[in-house]
Amino acid sequence: MLYPSSFLAPAFAVLAVFFFLPTVFNFVYAFTDWSAFHDDIRPVGLANVKAVLSNGALLSSLRITIVYAVLVAIMQTGFGLGLALLLERDTRINRFARVVFFIPVLMSALAVGYTFQALLKPDGPLNGLLGALIGQQVTIPWLGSTTWTVVTVAFVNSWKWMGLAMVIFLAGLKTIPADVLEAARIDGAGRWRTFLSIRFPLIAPAVTFNVATALLGSFNGFDTILATTGGGPAQQTEVLDIYIFRVYGNGLFAQATTMSLALLLLVALLAFPVIGYLRKRERVL
Amino acid sequence: MKTRGLSRAAAAATCGALLLAGCSAGNPGTSSAPAGPVTTAWPDPGAGLQGVTLTLWMSTQTAAMADNVIKSFEAKTGAKITKVVIPDVYETNAPTKLATGAKPDLATWQPTGSMLALLKPSTDLQSLDGAPWLARQTPAIQKLGVVNGHHYAAFVNVPSVLGVFYNKSVFQKAGITSPPKNFSELLADAQKIKAKGVAPFFGAAGDQWPTQWWPQVLLAEASKKGLWERVSQNKEKFTDPEILGAVRQFQDMVKQGLFNQDDKTSKYTESGPALLKGEAAMVLQLTSFASLMQSTADTATIDREIGWFPISKDGNIATSVPGGDNALVAFKTGDPKREAGARQFLRFWLETYYPDYVKSAGTVSIEPAVPTPAGVPEAVKQATAALDDAAGSMQQNAAVNPDFYVNLANMVNGTMTPEQVTSTTQSQFAQLAQALGIQGF
Repeated sequence: MLYPSSFLAPAFAVLAVFFFLPTVFNFVYAFTDWSAFHDDIRPVGLANVKAVLSNGALLSSLRITIVYAVLVAIMQTGFGLGLALLLERDTRINRFARVVFFIPVLMSALAVGYTFQALLKPDGPLNGLLGALIGQQVTIPWLGSTTWTVVTVAFVNSWKWMGLAMVIFLAGLKTIPADVLEAARIDGAGRWRTFLSIRFPLIAPAVTFNVATALLGSFNGFDTILATTGGGPAQQTEVLDIYIFRVYGNGLFAQATTMSLALLLLVALLAFPVIGYLRKRERVL
Repeated sequence: MKTRGLSRAAAAATCGALLLAGCSAGNPGTSSAPAGPVTTAWPDPGAGLQGVTLTLWMSTQTAAMADNVIKSFEAKTGAKITKVVIPDVYETNAPTKLATGAKPDLATWQPTGSMLALLKPSTDLQSLDGAPWLARQTPAIQKLGVVNGHHYAAFVNVPSVLGVFYNKSVFQKAGITSPPKNFSELLADAQKIKAKGVAPFFGAAGDQWPTQWWPQVLLAEASKKGLWERVSQNKEKFTDPEILGAVRQFQDMVKQGLFNQDDKTSKYTESGPALLKGEAAMVLQLTSFASLMQSTADTATIDREIGWFPISKDGNIATSVPGGDNALVAFKTGDPKREAGARQFLRFWLETYYPDYVKSAGTVSIEPAVPTPAGVPEAVKQATAALDDAAGSMQQNAAVNPDFYVNLANMVNGTMTPEQVTSTTQSQFAQLAQALGIQGF
């Protein structure tokens, strides 16, 4: 049965107000002098673009954002796939374990961040545990390394979301026809060969979804990082959203908007090739 | 500001240069005139205010400071005060909330020129010129919280000054009998303490912001000679020898290992216990650091264990940094009843209730007629006394407040040189000054 297209109006109205309008404003404000310091808003052309490009912090934040997003995509997908394979069989213990691993997905990202901040202190429980295992004091500053802390926060974020990736992979694994797997077994394929040649190619849509959501979602990484490191040490985990937040807090609203525009462009530039490549993999199905 | 702002922007885009000039930026105190003292009525502190609800924004640090005042004010006047605690970082989140159109009647706020600028004082804040409580306060306080000649902040607490809190036992063990008389002596004492195996200073670079105090105390004398005013006029830069030298000195101290080993990850809250336990000999901090120590030790213990002295490059000049727990601002909301109610609340706090407030808060009185209660640590009293001769900090005297501390924390972590710290800070300063419409940028 066909419904009149006017039925779409309410949905489009909501879309216009809550999506299109803010996006348009994002473009407009990026070319003005909007700030906390005065009410007037005047156009300033490309002055904000020049200002944010002249500052090395934007490029540094972009680099950190990309590193962080790639790390999250790899870890989250990897952890999710590992868990899905581990908990694939429908036993009572596995069903319980799936629930346990899904709990962090439901937790507040800030709560997760603060919990890990406490766990990872130089005199925190993790170092305490390691110290007890090796029999001497361990004081690794997990969140204090200017090189490795970005890996640590990517791990924390991946830990939080790996339950979701697990569920998506489990759904993918469950759709593989039993006769295909049985045929492979009759043909003499071992577990590893079956996984590489049959199971992994057949869950390509799940891989696409997990990699795309983890990678592109992490470009907007904010809450977990804010709670664990606040962008430190030495701004080495200051992803673009945290940098934008800081600039916005300084009252430079237009420049923050210009940076969010840069983020939008970056995500768009990366999203199309990444999703395009992953979708291409699915065509074998 | 939003839709109106967009239409203005669109209009400005089509109106040409003349119109653009007409829409000049609202530099505090230069655009629309604030309500002057002549027309401002100051309602009786105890007058009835039934049916009036006032909203008060507070930070997590100041969340409880007004509880008793609010209770008493509501009981006396019938008004209702809705307290809204804005999550950290307050100084970032409150202006963000304001930008969305939300506006409280009152808020606690850091009463410095650079921080008040974020609230657009000339157009958005009530002028407190001629407020009856001003004459009751000490002369040093009366000079603060002023932007372009107008009072915008009501001080309820004594402003913080920077000084060194030190552990008396550690000093004694290192053979130090009297506090240092200048920065060179301080560094010499630090070496003596280091030789005893104790960290001379506790730095909390994990929180970033405490890093900025070191260059600032080294610049106290320069500040008295108008350094920050010259920086605000673009006549002197962060990259010039004065400020660069102070940053280099701080880096030198870090390189010499004069700070705690876990400086890079340590937090401000860890500095109080570390000093009390003698794990570090000294902490350079604001007067409000005493409150941190009071959360784990009583006043008698603090007085027995902890001493205080101000320090500067050539002497013992303290540096004044009014903080977010020192003052309140009242917003122009467009509702005369609520605006008057906000002024009445401030009168109630600073006149009727002030003796009870200092007693319940255990704080130094800023009104000579109201005695400071017993139980205030000696260090706080000394810091308060040092306020009279204090130099102004960057926050207090400069036109805007760049992220100096972020860059300094980067230097502590080894990712920035002093030259990079000062050049990055200078460019941030210039950006903010341009946004504020300051001439010369």
